[in-house]
Amino acid sequence: MPAPQLLTGGIEMAINNLLSLDPDSPQRLLPLNGKRLQVKLHELPWPLTFAFSQRVDVLADEQQADCTIVLSIATLKKMQDISQLSYLIQQQELSLNGDMHTAQSFSNLVKDLNIDWEEQLSRYTGDVIAHQSFRTARQLHHRLTAKLQRLGDILKDVAMDEKQLAAHPLAVEDFSEQVNDLRSDVARFEARLLQLEQRPKQRKGK
Amino acid sequence: MSDPGQSQPQSDDQTHFGFKTVGKQQKATMVAEVFHSVAAKYDVMNDLMSMGIHRLWKRFTIDCSGVRPGQKVLDLAGGTGDLAAKFSRLVGKDGQVVLADINNAMLRVGRDKLRDKGILGNVDYVQANAECLPFPDNHFDLITIAFGLRNVTDKDAALASMLRVLKPGGRLLVLEFSKPEFDALSKVYDLYSFHLLPKMGKLVANDSESYQYLAESIRMHPDQETLKAMMENAGFEQVTYHNMTGGIVALHRGFKF
Repeated sequence: MPAPQLLTGGIEMAINNLLSLDPDSPQRLLPLNGKRLQVKLHELPWPLTFAFSQRVDVLADEQQADCTIVLSIATLKKMQDISQLSYLIQQQELSLNGDMHTAQSFSNLVKDLNIDWEEQLSRYTGDVIAHQSFRTARQLHHRLTAKLQRLGDILKDVAMDEKQLAAHPLAVEDFSEQVNDLRSDVARFEARLLQLEQRPKQRKGK
Repeated sequence: MSDPGQSQPQSDDQTHFGFKTVGKQQKATMVAEVFHSVAAKYDVMNDLMSMGIHRLWKRFTIDCSGVRPGQKVLDLAGGTGDLAAKFSRLVGKDGQVVLADINNAMLRVGRDKLRDKGILGNVDYVQANAECLPFPDNHFDLITIAFGLRNVTDKDAALASMLRVLKPGGRLLVLEFSKPEFDALSKVYDLYSFHLLPKMGKLVANDSESYQYLAESIRMHPDQETLKAMMENAGFEQVTYHNMTGGIVALHRGFKF
């Protein structure tokens, strides 16, 4: 079975299904119309080419594209923040050739995806059930977050104050400052020692 | 590839129609009847018969096409327009895709499907015989024929006609059923196509004969090396082929220089 085509087919279906759920995506696709973006992932033996029209076609071909990006999957996650592009290029985590505007427009297309999941669910369940489900899910999320936060605080108190297994952040900071001071003193002492060692040699030379 | 049920053409006026031998004039009409019969259920049956894998074979064909915006593409025996739909987006508004099929019913299904998908403007529909294509010389950058060549009566004439309308530098892609690479697979495939396929055709499309013809026509189609030689004889250069799913399907690629 052609594995690259299975992968590109899956990616293509996922992207286009997601885009179809956002009513603003056709507008955001317009600047990309007719462009091609090629992504070469270190982890994949073949490139992924995104061809843009009124939808996105994903190909596994080697042809030249308007913009080519070479990166790893780990870097892909960092690219969500477009302001990090220059930094990633400087760090050689990312190589970008061609029209940078194409890459930026694609990043914006994905980043600005705004899907009303409640609205999507209501198509199948009706408004009331969808609203209640999302309200319950949100409340559950808030409660879980609060509980996790509280649990973290309790564990912190036990580890630092009661059992004294970990140091308090202020104590760590104070210790770090003391280490820095000691390092500076040693460096000064080393320099002074070197100076004193060189003085007899200079006298002998005279 | 021989089968006890198959007969050999006795003269130049005869050809294969599955395992039967028929007059060359008859074959086109008989193939037309088959496709008239299956046109409405063609896509459903394709998905069912191949378990959806035909989509991956077609994707591979598109990946090998090297098609660029602004180019002219001929999707021959294009049927219900699976390849044409994608080519239409890839060549863009400055390009052109011609969806050609000898069968009016298939062409109509393809046209309706593409229009329903909103694909308009750069796709033209032409009812044409692959053996004598009604296009000027050196006209297309790419020609594809997917699961169509085995139904053509005179394959050599069709390949020569494709070469004529292809631009120098252009490429021909032939996606077609071929000969499985392994004996074990070949046996399983025979069982499937001669016993299960006609029954599926009967059940879904209420037409077992057309699917019996499909299985037989696949066995009568030239194998990988023979088709490669036929393309080279027609004048195509750098002809290569790529087997898929153990050779059940092969993609042949040739260039005109």
